[in-house]
Amino acid sequence: MIALIKSRFATLLIVVSALTLSALAQQPSPLPMPPQLEKDLAARASDVTEVTLNKSMLAFASKFMHGKDEDDASVRQLIEGLDGIYVRDYEFDKDGAYEPDQLEQVRKAFATPEWTPIIHERERHGNGSDTTDILMKVVNGENRGMFILNAEPRELSIVLILGPIRVEDLGRLHGIAGLGALAEVEKDSHAKVKEKNKDTTKVKKDGDQ
Amino acid sequence: MDDPMDERNQMNGFEDQLTQAFVRRPAPPGLKRRILNQRAQRRTVQMRNRVVFWQRLAAGFVLAAGIGGGYTWHHVDQERKGEAARKQVMTALRITNRTLDQIQARLAARESAEHE
Repeated sequence: MIALIKSRFATLLIVVSALTLSALAQQPSPLPMPPQLEKDLAARASDVTEVTLNKSMLAFASKFMHGKDEDDASVRQLIEGLDGIYVRDYEFDKDGAYEPDQLEQVRKAFATPEWTPIIHERERHGNGSDTTDILMKVVNGENRGMFILNAEPRELSIVLILGPIRVEDLGRLHGIAGLGALAEVEKDSHAKVKEKNKDTTKVKKDGDQ
Repeated sequence: MDDPMDERNQMNGFEDQLTQAFVRRPAPPGLKRRILNQRAQRRTVQMRNRVVFWQRLAAGFVLAAGIGGGYTWHHVDQERKGEAARKQVMTALRITNRTLDQIQARLAARESAEHE
């Protein structure tokens, strides 16, 4: 009887461990891309770049940026505070490899109050359209993330950076990756957030009257 | 003065003892075998000790080499993974930068077109 209980307990322990491990292994990515959409895009693309770096991976990578040069040190400073960087970049041989509805699925995931749109632009031309979306996640007036969706007829780039993005750190990256462009976006985001807050206050005041 | 008779008796006694001592006696049976056995045993023990010593030394070397090799392998593996992670970070930042550059270029082109 005791042997039976012991063997059942051991089996239960193995099953629980296996489930825990598989759950840990399949931690959902914060990038709101349906897996099927990712597979479809990757299958159609001629060139695919997928980068998934969570907080622990970024911390691990930062250990190997020994600061031999200034760039390494700047990148390390930037990524140390981040919670994750998720990038999907697809290049296609021909136009129309993806449907606008598919992008809408991704866009909808960011239609929450904490995500502030900085740029939303759609430009139609002969063989399709270019779509650009840049959103910033602002929590208590602080920049806590950035989402970029750039869709061209033959290229689709999706970037999600989570965590505090410091302007001063981005400025230092200007030399290596031209990420000073990000600093510009950051400035825009502050202006937009201020504008948004002003609107909210105005609406509140109107409501009070 | 000493008595010469006593002196002679003492000498005879000593000679008798000496004669007794020099008498050839056969070795006890099995003595040679016992001595040879003891020697062989001693040699076997010495041999075994030597073998054990070399065995321990070799085991120590193997263990040290194993630990050293394992540590080196782990270090090299970590370096390789770290370098891969570092490259991924740089790739992600480059794509981000390129995307933003494209967006900025497009916006600039549009703005200049609007001005014209």
